[in-house]
Amino acid sequence: MFGIATTLVLLLTLAIAACSAPPTPAATPPQTRPDLAGMWSDPPRTALDSFCFMACTETGLKHLAALLDDPANDARPYEGLMGESVGYQAAEYLRPRMTDAGLATSPLDPLADRGYLYCEPWGFARQAFAPHQLEIKQDADSVDLHYGEWDAHRTVYLDGRSVPADQVHTPLGYSVGHYEGDTLVVETTHVTEGDGTLMAWDGRHSDQLTAVERYRRPNPERLELTATLTDPWALREPVEFKKVWRFAPDQEIGPYDSCEPAAAKSAEGKAQ
Amino acid sequence: MKPKHLVSFACAMLAAAALAPAAAHHSFAAVFDGSKIVTLDGTIKEFKFVNPHALATIDVTDDKGAVQPWTVEFDGRLNLTNFGWTDATIRSGERVKISGNPERTGAPRIFFSKLVRADGTAVVRGGDRLNAIEEDRRLRAAQRATSTPAK
Repeated sequence: MFGIATTLVLLLTLAIAACSAPPTPAATPPQTRPDLAGMWSDPPRTALDSFCFMACTETGLKHLAALLDDPANDARPYEGLMGESVGYQAAEYLRPRMTDAGLATSPLDPLADRGYLYCEPWGFARQAFAPHQLEIKQDADSVDLHYGEWDAHRTVYLDGRSVPADQVHTPLGYSVGHYEGDTLVVETTHVTEGDGTLMAWDGRHSDQLTAVERYRRPNPERLELTATLTDPWALREPVEFKKVWRFAPDQEIGPYDSCEPAAAKSAEGKAQ
Repeated sequence: MKPKHLVSFACAMLAAAALAPAAAHHSFAAVFDGSKIVTLDGTIKEFKFVNPHALATIDVTDDKGAVQPWTVEFDGRLNLTNFGWTDATIRSGERVKISGNPERTGAPRIFFSKLVRADGTAVVRGGDRLNAIEEDRRLRAAQRATSTPAK
């Protein structure tokens, strides 16, 4: 009897210890994780890939492909076909998925753009689809995403941690991730309210925004992102955006130190 | 302008920005008039190859001999690098004709679209990418022609 009780206590102690222990590192050894590292830049220079310089959608891509495959459009400038496809994806894909609250913020007033007015760096939704360089560094337990625009960094934790209970909201949010085969999967929460993506989502999002990003390198020269964004305040249902980069090892990210806030210039003008 | 036309115009502006996304950190449409082009004939005073946007000052002399400095805003160094630009692509003291979209306020400032040097050679915004895209379109059209069964 005593032996059984001792065993039970021991098992119970072990169970409690297991539950209260720090998360087991889920680090992925280099030889088994996909190699996404390096400098990535603008998209491959094709008509379809160029549509995904910023955020694009499958709906917009299909529309552009149809326009490109119609001989009647062969003489039309590419910018016109692209502009038509941007309008199509907004009308057919995004706007039907936006709530009344989200629609009320669209289109955004460019003169109220805080990046323009105050040189305020972009938040997550803009930055993840920024039309500039992205440098990826992979460690065993984290990934650093370094963006050319604003010289900004995001850290994606791969060590199996949960979001800290006292985590505050920040413009770029808090990101944890893991690998699934050839794909880096990143889950982001705790993003402060901000502007939607360039090109595809011309409206505001709330601090309830969450995202699941999936980064994949289908060949050495190409990096693809497919991201699902959810925001019960701005969106009736999740939306999926895409982006593509080409490998550009010869490029580097320079300092971002010459931004001139328009608000300051305007104030100077009024003072004179 | 009807709302539908406004949307089309905005989409076209977005598309143009996407090809050479100069206006990424601020809205191009908020600052510059994409429907107008101004050409300046003058001498480059300074070219700053910086982020978020490269900047040049060009001295333009009017008919009465007065010199008016204009500011030319370019894509950022980030994107210009993609197009093969360096800090030596435009040189101080160089005589050029620069075309671009004027600032809406009427201030002496344009957003770069094309530069023609004294020897006639030209630098066009996003030129390499646009050329590659047009080549891709020609290939698509050729494949379409060969794959379409003859009637």
